[in-house]
Formats: sequence, C-alpha cells, structure tokens
Amino acid sequence: MKLKKLYPWYFSSGAIILYMLFIVIPALVGIYYSFTDWNSYSSVKNFIGLENYKEIFVGDEVYLKYIKNTFVFTIFTSIAKTVLGLFIAILLVSGVKAAGFHRMVIFSPQVLSFLIVGLVFKSLLDPNYGFLNNTLHALGLDFLAKSWLGSLTWAMPSVMAVDTWKGMGYIMVLFVAGLLAVPKDYYEAAEIDGAGFFQKLFRITLPLLMPTITIATVLNITYGMRVFDIIYVLTNGGPGYATDVINTAVYSAFAKGYWGMGSALSSVLFVIMAIVSVFIIRIMTRNEVER
Amino acid sequence: MKIKALSYLGVLILFALALVGCSSDDASGEDGSKVTLTFGTHQSGIPRTGIIQEMAKDFEKETGIGIEFQIVPDAQWRDLIKAKLASGEAPDIFNVDVDPLSMPANVRPKENAMDLSEEEFAGRMSDQILPSVSHEGKVYGVSYAPTKIWYVYYNKKIFNDLGIKPPTNYEEFKSISQKILDSGVTPFWMAPSSNWYQTLALFETGPNYEKLNPGIYEKLNNNEMKVADMDRMKTVLEQLKEFADLGYFGENFLSNTVEAGIDAFGKGEAAMFVRVPGTETEVSDAYPEMKDNMGFFVMPWGDNQTIGINPGGSAAMFGNKNSEHKEEILEFFRWMTKHENLQRVFDGGEGNLTICWPEIESKLTPEYLEYEEAHEKGTVMQAAVKYIDPQFMDVGKDISGMFAGSLTPEEVLENIDKRRAEQAKVLNDSAWEE
Repeated sequence: MKLKKLYPWYFSSGAIILYMLFIVIPALVGIYYSFTDWNSYSSVKNFIGLENYKEIFVGDEVYLKYIKNTFVFTIFTSIAKTVLGLFIAILLVSGVKAAGFHRMVIFSPQVLSFLIVGLVFKSLLDPNYGFLNNTLHALGLDFLAKSWLGSLTWAMPSVMAVDTWKGMGYIMVLFVAGLLAVPKDYYEAAEIDGAGFFQKLFRITLPLLMPTITIATVLNITYGMRVFDIIYVLTNGGPGYATDVINTAVYSAFAKGYWGMGSALSSVLFVIMAIVSVFIIRIMTRNEVER
Repeated sequence: MKIKALSYLGVLILFALALVGCSSDDASGEDGSKVTLTFGTHQSGIPRTGIIQEMAKDFEKETGIGIEFQIVPDAQWRDLIKAKLASGEAPDIFNVDVDPLSMPANVRPKENAMDLSEEEFAGRMSDQILPSVSHEGKVYGVSYAPTKIWYVYYNKKIFNDLGIKPPTNYEEFKSISQKILDSGVTPFWMAPSSNWYQTLALFETGPNYEKLNPGIYEKLNNNEMKVADMDRMKTVLEQLKEFADLGYFGENFLSNTVEAGIDAFGKGEAAMFVRVPGTETEVSDAYPEMKDNMGFFVMPWGDNQTIGINPGGSAAMFGNKNSEHKEEILEFFRWMTKHENLQRVFDGGEGNLTICWPEIESKLTPEYLEYEEAHEKGTVMQAAVKYIDPQFMDVGKDISGMFAGSLTPEEVLENIDKRRAEQAKVLNDSAWEE
C-alpha cells in the first residue's frame, strides 16, 4: 500500500527536480535579489529589505506610470483580441467560403516574430514616408494622418493595434475549436423554438464558450502584462515614457546594471499577474455552464 | 546479437569522437597548437568597413592565433558585456565605450582587465586618450578612437541661395532656420528615435556652461550643485523645444533616425545636421553631388561658440584578465599597434580624420585646423562630469518626451539629477552621502 502511494512520485520525481531546478529555484533566487542592491558595478550584494519596492511604489512616480501603462495595454488588447477573435471565429464557422484559407491568413501573423512585425509596422506607420499616411494623403484624408508612433496621444493606441492584429488570430483559432465543439442539436432546438441570431449567440454560444473565453482571457491578460518585444521595437517606450510598461522598465533597469531593482520590478510583475489571473479565473469560471 | 554488438561499437565510436572533440579544445594553447581568441564587440566598436576582421586574418596567418568575432548590436552590448563580466564569461578581448569617468565602473579593470602598463605600445598612445583607458595609474585598454567633435554641418548651396551665413548665436540660428523653412526645406535634422542624438545639444555644449560659470564641472562632481540649477542648460532645452514647436526639425520628426539623416542631408531635404569630422566623405560617397558642398560650424545652442572636445567616448579593447590565453592576447595587441597596422586601421576605417596615436598623421583639412585655432576648446560635459555619460540614452528619451509635450525642461533636468544621485548611491560616492 505504501509502495502504491509512492509510485506516482517515482515517475514524476525527474520532472519535479527539473522544474525546481530551472523554474522554482531561479524564481526564488530572483525574489531574494529583489531585496538586495545587486548591481553591475560591484560584486557585493547588500540586503536592503524593501528599499527597491519602496522606490517603485512611493519613490519615483514614473514606476507607477509603467504599471498604469501595463494595465491600459493589457485591458485594451485583451478586450480587442477576445472580441475580434470571437467575431471572426463566428464568421468562419458560419459557412464563409474558403474558411480554411481565411483562418490561415488571419492566423499567419501569429507565426511571425515580434521583431519582423515591429519593423514592418514601424515602416508602415512612419509619419512622413509610411504607407498609412501616404494612403490617407492620397485619399484626401489628410486630417486623419498622424505621427502614429511619435505622438503622446497615438503611440499607445498604435502599439495596441499592432499587437491586436498579431495576436487575434491565435484567439480566433481557440474560439473556432470551441465553437465546433458546441453540439448542433442546441441550435436546431433553438431554431425550432424560433430563436434569432442574437438569442442563439447570447443564450447558447457564449455560455457554452465560457471555458474557452476564460482561457483566452487569461492568455491575453498574462501576455499583455508581460508585453515587451513589440513595444521595444516600435517605440522603445517613447515618446517620453508614453508606452513604457513594466517589462521595458525591467529591461532598462538590467541594462543600467541595476539588477536588484530589475528583480524587484520582475517580482512586482509576477505578483500582479498572479493576483489578476486568479481573480479572473474565479470570476469567469462562475459563469461557465456544463455541456 | 550482431546488431547489438554493432550498436555498442557505434556508441563507443561516438563517445571516443566526443572525447577527441573536447580534448582538442582543451589542449589548444597549452601544447602550442592553435589558439582561437574570442573578441566581443558592439557593431560600432569596430569599423563597419571590416578592416579589423581583415587584419585579424592576417594576424592568424602570421602567428597561428585565430580571432573569433562576436559582434552584437550596439544597444545590447552595453548590457551584455556587464552581465558577461559579472558572470566571468567575458570574451578574451572585449570592446567597451570608455571615457575617463565611466571606464572604472563599466569595466572594473582591477577585476576584469589585463594590466598593459608595461607594454611598449601603451607609451605611444596619445595623452588625450590615456585617461579613458587608465585607472589608478595603470593602462588597461587599447583604443583607436579619434578625438570626437560634433559640428553642425550645413549645405553650402542652400545657404548661398538664401544669402545666409553660419550662425554665431542662437538668435541667428533661429533666424536662418526660419528662412530655410520658408524655402520649403527642413532646416535641421533631428533624430529623437535614435535616443542619443538630441542629447548632444545639451552635453556637447558643456564647455560653454563652464566658460560662463567657471568651476561648474567641479561643483557638479562634488555634488555642490545640481544640474537643475544650471540656467544655461535649461535655456538650451527651451531652445530645442522652441525649434521643435516652430517646425525647424520638420513635421513629425519624432520618428526620425540618425541613419536617415545622411539621406535627408544628401538629398538636400534637410539643410543642417550634427555629425563628426569625416562626414563629408560619408555623405559625398552616397551623394557625389554633395562633394565640396558642405560646411560646418560649432553648435550654437545657448549661444555656444566653444568647441566641445570628447577625448574618449568611443570603443577601447581590453584583454580579459581571467582568460587562459593572456600571452596570445598581448601578442594580438602588440601586432595591432605596430606602426604599419595602426596606419592600416586608420586608412581602412570609416573616414575618421584623426586617431589617438600621435605617430599617425591626421587627415584634418586646413579648414578644420583653422577653425579649431580660431575657437576656444573645452571638454564636453559627459567626459568631465560624473554620471552623465551612463544616462545619455535616458536623457535622450526625456528630451523626446519634452518635444512631445510630456515633460518640461525643468523636469528633464530634475531627472538628470535623480539618475546622477541613483548612480552615485550605487557607487558609494562619498560626495552624495547625506
């Protein structure tokens, strides 16, 4: 009996050791470093308690701006990707011609690297020579032409739009899979009862898709919180600090050699992500229904 | 059974090959067989012409010592080399941008760099560069850096057509810029997207601050005053902002890059831009019609008329103190600093007109020499005031924020002070202790 209880542990011990070695221990070490003044200018690491955290939350208000930007980016891109992904998925499973082709086209940005996407859009959004402004000028819509990545007003929305374009294809695929798994009988029964498109959408599709929506939302939120690449390539956090997020601040802290502060910022991000994810999962799983 | 025996044999062969592979690496150098030195650098740490790589091949032919280049984009190198030095994984030879103030902190020479003081070549480098590669009386680095001066280059034809002359103060600068703008040309190429370019106006005119308030550099270094107290520096920021608001940097200039500036200037789309001596060759190579059509003048921000000289600020090579191949590294440095090889680096480089080796004749034209003689000279702020150079990019970001309207000139200066205090604290600078 005792042997039977230990049996699963024998099998999983290798994975557990690897997980501890490469994930858990480095994370804990990182958290420890966040309480030190570790930097590239000295090999001495002094324990300074909560000093780094104090600096983040009450010391320099620019850190709070990074946190605010992270939330703004996450909330808007998560909603946009979920809504657009769902909308496109519904279109694609509703009998659009060449659905497979469209699915592939919409999904394809997902396989591109952020570097490529960033560089391409940097060129497309160039205010003087970019395709977007040139097209707007050619159409006589000069008033719509903007300094997309260089303006305090438009830089963040531009970055969010590019990120949504890249990420919605993945969410769409999740929803397509979810929609295909909804039994057709429900729709047939609803149609017999005279239900219209919106009634079917809100009474059948969305409730049954809740597990997928939960997964998509959590994925979008965790990605949004961790965003770095697309911002780094498109704006490098600028103009000023208009598009700086927690991860660009982490990068900047490490770049300056302030490794203790970089670790503290990473730890803050980790805690925020954990709280938000648990909160979202709790809220959303309440609304899930059995199939 | 046969298959089993063959499998064993196969595994044995693979194991033996792996051992041979490993042992040949380990043995290299110890038994006199071929050593390959790793050379880590950022892209701009060595000339883009490839002359250093070409010479490394010749060095290998002569000595049998190979050089393996690890070239990293500029923006990442500053961070990467710090991490590599801290983790003991730095290449045998590594390039770091140096100036007398930041080198000790960035390289930590006592722990990481070979002492080159006794080498014959150390005595041949110019006195101007030595403080940038030395620490506590010992020479640690080898540099080819020219003494850097940033001038405003202008298109002579545009100036002649409009009947304007190089300005000698800010008001004249503004006035000619308006005339250029009225003619449909962008007066001045600004490149905030590259993050460092706009910072030049602020710190390269440092000698002017020092001239107006002698002793200001020392006071800043002793923490007896703040950057925020420097009125002239605030004036320069206000002037930059005024230029931006008046459209003298062009429309939508916040996305401009330094690289695109060559094209804009070469095509006559921008009348002025800031570059270093040697720019004439770079521009006229790409735009032959620009040959003999370029003039230059000192940056007139804050009514500056003093030439800012940066004796360092560019890359220097260091030998890794913890390398297993110290002798080979020295051999490389000795070879690269032979007179004929210095000449080769200079001639094969990217058009620099000077090099920090007095034995190599400069290519500065009489025009440059006369201009230098006619103007006062002084050391730029980032090479004379502590904790300025490491925040060059951050200040650039702040200035672009100022252009966009999210920061005021006062806030830009306060941020500089804040970052200076941050770094002083990290380095336990006694002048900042409360």
